[in-house]
Amino acid sequence: MADYIVEMKHITKRFPGIVANDDVTIQVRKGEIYALLGENGAGKSTLMSMLFGMYEPDEGEIFIRGEKVRLESPNHATRLNIGMVHQHFKLISNYTIAENIVMGMEPVKKLLGCIPVVDRKKANSDIAALSEKYGLAVNPEDVIANVNVSTQQRVEILKMLYREAEILIFDEPTAVLTPQEIHFLLEIIKGLRDKGKTIILITHKLEEIKQIADRCAILNRGRLIDVMDVASTSTKTMANLMVGREVSFETDKKPAVPGDVVLEVKNLDVYNRQDFQVVKNVSFQVHKGEILAIAGVAGNGQVEIADAITGLIPIRGGSVILNGTDITHMPIRQRTLQGISYIPEDRHNYGLVMDFTLSENLALKDYFREPFCRNGVLDHQTFEENSSRLIEEYDIRSGQGSSTVVRSMSGGNQQKAIIAREVQLDSELMIFVQPTRGLDIGAIENIHKQMIAQRDKGKAILLISLELDEIMNCADTIGVIYNGEIQKIAAADTLTTEQVGEFMMGVRHADKTEHTYVGEGMNAGAADKEGKET
Amino acid sequence: MDIIIIDGLSFALPLFIMAIGGIYCEKSGVTMLAVEGLQGFGAFAGALAAVAVSGIFAGNSPVPFYIAMVFAVAGGAVFALIHALLCLRFKANQVISGVVVNIMAMAMTAYLTKLLNRVIFGAASDKFVLTVSSKITIPVISRIPVLGAVFTNLYPFELVIVAVAFIAWFIMYRTRFGMHLRACGDNPHAVDAAGRNVNKVRLSAIVICGGLSGLGGICFAYSISANFSSSIYVGYGYLAIAALIFGNWRILPTLGACLLFGFARSGGYRLVQVLQMPSSFQDLVMILPYVLTLLLLVFFSRQNGAPRALGEIYDKGAR
Repeated sequence: MADYIVEMKHITKRFPGIVANDDVTIQVRKGEIYALLGENGAGKSTLMSMLFGMYEPDEGEIFIRGEKVRLESPNHATRLNIGMVHQHFKLISNYTIAENIVMGMEPVKKLLGCIPVVDRKKANSDIAALSEKYGLAVNPEDVIANVNVSTQQRVEILKMLYREAEILIFDEPTAVLTPQEIHFLLEIIKGLRDKGKTIILITHKLEEIKQIADRCAILNRGRLIDVMDVASTSTKTMANLMVGREVSFETDKKPAVPGDVVLEVKNLDVYNRQDFQVVKNVSFQVHKGEILAIAGVAGNGQVEIADAITGLIPIRGGSVILNGTDITHMPIRQRTLQGISYIPEDRHNYGLVMDFTLSENLALKDYFREPFCRNGVLDHQTFEENSSRLIEEYDIRSGQGSSTVVRSMSGGNQQKAIIAREVQLDSELMIFVQPTRGLDIGAIENIHKQMIAQRDKGKAILLISLELDEIMNCADTIGVIYNGEIQKIAAADTLTTEQVGEFMMGVRHADKTEHTYVGEGMNAGAADKEGKET
Repeated sequence: MDIIIIDGLSFALPLFIMAIGGIYCEKSGVTMLAVEGLQGFGAFAGALAAVAVSGIFAGNSPVPFYIAMVFAVAGGAVFALIHALLCLRFKANQVISGVVVNIMAMAMTAYLTKLLNRVIFGAASDKFVLTVSSKITIPVISRIPVLGAVFTNLYPFELVIVAVAFIAWFIMYRTRFGMHLRACGDNPHAVDAAGRNVNKVRLSAIVICGGLSGLGGICFAYSISANFSSSIYVGYGYLAIAALIFGNWRILPTLGACLLFGFARSGGYRLVQVLQMPSSFQDLVMILPYVLTLLLLVFFSRQNGAPRALGEIYDKGAR
C-alpha cells in the first residue's frame, strides 16, 4: 500500500453518450514507468486528465502518496507535484524557452529597490542549470517559434521539472516525433525514472512500451483489461488485448501482377516556398497492380513529390504523365478527374474541412457534379445516401453519423473517412502519404488491407511513408529518397530493411557527421509543419 | 517648419497613447475596435468634471485640466467594462462588441451633454466649453535649431503622455503582468496551464486600454477643439488602431506611425497656408492622414505580426 504513489480506484467518467472510463483501477509505484496502452478513444487521456485535475471523476477515488485527494484544477495537481505534457503543446510561440518555462513562477528582482521586474538573467541561468541537471539540452534564449518539435517537447518536460513535479504524465509523446527523436525521448524518459521520478506514459505504440515501460495497463473501450509486467509479456499478447481480437503484424499479400504504366514521372524538379530545390531530377514509373513505396527520412522531398503530382505545388522542371496524358501543368481538379486519389499527409489541413459534417466531407471530391449537384443546387439527399453507404462500408465510427462534425471524430475515423472518399473515386492512381500516422495498430492493419485490396484490383499505388516497417510490409517496389534525389529503386524482395535504411541515410554520399547534420535540418522542417497544423 | 513639428507633435502624442491602449488590449488577445468610443467617453467624463469644477478655480488655472485628465482616464476605463463584459463574460464577437461600444458612446455622450447642460448648468448647449490648455517652452534645449521645436510651445499633457507611455512600455515588457498579458494574446491555454487566470489578465488589459484612450480623448478636447462635443468623434480612435497595426503591435514603431500621421496633418495645413489656398482646402487636408493610412495599408499589410490568438474567444475546454 505505502509504496504506491498514485492510486486511482474504481474511476468512472461519463460524457454525453459515452462512458469514457468504466470502473478503472490503477496503482502506480514510485519510480517506475507505468504505461497506459489502448486504442484511440480507449479512455487513456480521460483517465489522466482526471489525475491532472482537468476533469473530476463521476465515481471513484484518487489517492496521492496514500492520501485521498479531490483534484480540482491543474494548479492543484501541480501543487501535489504532478506534471503533464499534453499532446498539443501549450507554449507561447514568440517567447524564449526560458520565459515559457518560468511563466507563472517567474523569478523577480527589485529595480531601484522597489519596482518588481522579471529577472531574465536568473531565469536563463536557472533553466540552463535545470537543463544540464536532467540532460535535456535546450538553449534558454531561443524563441519557441524557431525551434523544432522535439525541442518544444523538451521545453514542456522542463516546465514540469521547474515546478518540481515528481509524477510525470506523458500523453502520446512520440506522436509528433521522427524515429531518431523518439529514440532520444525514450532515453530522456528513462533518465528521469533513474533520477527517481514516477512516469505515466500514454501510448498506443507497443514497441515503445516494450523498450522502456516497467508495467503496462491495457484499456479497451473505457474498461481496464489487464495490468501486466512488460518484461514477461509478449508484444503480440499486448496487441491482442489492446485491440480485443487477434492482430497480425505481417500483412498478407499475394505477389504483385504489374500491368501497364499508369504514372510516369520524368526528371521532376520541385522548389519549395523558400525557393530551395527539394526534389532533384526524380524519375520513376508506377504500374497497374503495383505498390511503389518511397522511403526516406522526413524532409527529404518525398512529400513534395506527392504534392507536385497532385498539383499542390508547381513543377519547375520535368514532366508528370498519367495514363499517357501530360498533367504537368494541369489545375488540381482536372488532375483529380483524370484519375488521381490522394490521401494527404496533413489530414487536418488538406484532407478534411474540420468544421463541416461527415457527409459533406465525404462528398468533397464530388459535390460539384451530378448527382450531388443539379443545376448549381446541392442535393442533400444524395449527400446523405453517399455518406450512409460509405459509413457502413468502411466502418467509420462517429457520434452522430452523417451529421457529425469531423473535428469531433477520432484521428483513426477521420482517416477512414478520407480513405473511403478517395477510394470510391475509383481512380487509376492512388497516392497515400503517411496513411497511418498517429493511428493505433488496429486502424493501421485496416488501412494496409485496404491499400493492398486496391492494388489487387489493378490500381497503381504510390505510398510515401516514414515508417520503414510499413514500407517493407506493403511495397512491391521501393524507391529510396535522400536529399531530394532517388538513391535506389528496386523490387521490394531484393532489398533488406538494413539496406533501405542505409540508402535513407545517404551513406553513398555522405560521411557520418554529415548525415546527422542533415537529420537535424529535417526535423526543423517537420517542426514547421507541426506548427502550422496546430 | 517649427510650426509643423509643434502641431504635429500635439496631434501625434494623444494618438500614440490611444494606440498604446489598443496595443495592450490586442496583445492580450482581445480585438479592440472601440478606441474611438472609449476616447470620446473619456473626453466626455473629463470635460464634465472640468466644467463642474471650473467655478472654483481662476480662469487660467491649470488645475481643472488635471482633474479632467483623471476623470477622463476613469471614464474611459469604466466604459471599457462594457467591452469586457460582452467579450469575456458573454463571449460575444469582439468586432461587433467594439462597434457597439463606439455607437453607444456617441449616442450616450451626445444625449448626456445636452441633458446635463440643461439640468445642471441651465444652458441649452450640446457642448462643454473648455479652454485651450496653456503651453510651456522648456528653456535652453528649445533653442537648438530645428529639434528645439520639439521642446517649444508644448502642451503639458504631451509630457504626461510621454511619461505614461514609458511606464506602459515598462509594464508590458519588464513585469510579470506584462509577460502574462502578451502570453494571453499568443496562446491563452499556456497561460492557463501556468496557473494564471486568462480572463482576469484580459479584463485588466481592456480596462487599461479604456483608461489610456480616455487620456488621449481629453487631450484632443483640450487642444484641437477646446470643447467637448460630438465633433470629438472624427476617427481619432480608428487612426490610432491604424497606427498600431503599422507599428506591428509594438510600441516604438507605433510611435513612428503616429508621428507620421501627425506631421502629415500639420504639414498639410501649413501647405494650405503657404500656398494661400482657400480655407475650404483645409478640410481637404484633413483627409491626409487617412489617405496615408490607405497607402500604408497597401504596403505594410503583408508583414503584419498580429498576436496569434487575437480575437479568439478563450474557452477552457477547447483544444
